[in-house]
Amino acid sequence: MGFNISVEGGPGEATIKLSGELDAAAAPRFKEVIEKVAEAKPLRLVLLMGELEFMASAGLRVLIFARQKMGAGVSLYVIGSRGPVLSTLRMSGFHHSVHLQETYAPE
Amino acid sequence: MEKRSLPAELDSLAELRRYVKEAAGGAGIDDARAYKLQLAVDEIATNIIFYGYKDVGASAVISIGSQIRDGALVITLEDCAQPFDPRTMRMPDAKDLAKPLEERAIGGLGIFLAIRGVDRFDYRREGDRNLSTFEVRIGHD
Repeated sequence: MGFNISVEGGPGEATIKLSGELDAAAAPRFKEVIEKVAEAKPLRLVLLMGELEFMASAGLRVLIFARQKMGAGVSLYVIGSRGPVLSTLRMSGFHHSVHLQETYAPE
Repeated sequence: MEKRSLPAELDSLAELRRYVKEAAGGAGIDDARAYKLQLAVDEIATNIIFYGYKDVGASAVISIGSQIRDGALVITLEDCAQPFDPRTMRMPDAKDLAKPLEERAIGGLGIFLAIRGVDRFDYRREGDRNLSTFEVRIGHD
């Protein structure tokens, strides 16, 4: 299945689409994309996760890295996560810090 | 299912997950619990690959096996890396889990997800091998 990642930039926000399986093998690619996206200093980071079939703690660590890299002022949106991935995000307490939404609705 | 041995490298993780998925399907475990089991095995295997085999050569191997025992599906990961009991790692507590991302510690999440995802996780050292077992009860929803 593998892992695929694509980026779109809009004014003040960056949208990253993740699909496939985000494990420790794939996480460095995600981290690289975050580093590039952070350079443009977006105000919002939107992660489209509707096609993400699997996410390990390595993926969660990249989300922590994204927050720490981009600063507390950047809003993180995690959109369309499937049941098990959503469950992992909640179990790990991420719902306190990111907007977990089914479809993107900037706040 | 027959035991499989794979190189202890990150590219083997996908194959290990597929093995677990197949074993869980064969045992009639529902998708949600099968996912958690895959995640648990993936997390521990990742630790073995990253930390267990540091400073060891290219011949490092990780083996996976499955059996049905006392009404549970038991997945076993076996490796010959240095001894490491994942249960000794400090896992996040409720206070840690409520912290904002910018204050979160990076470590401990993997083991936390692994142990929380199965009915029983066990580790033991036998001779020069580490044995990690993951148990999910069958027909228990």
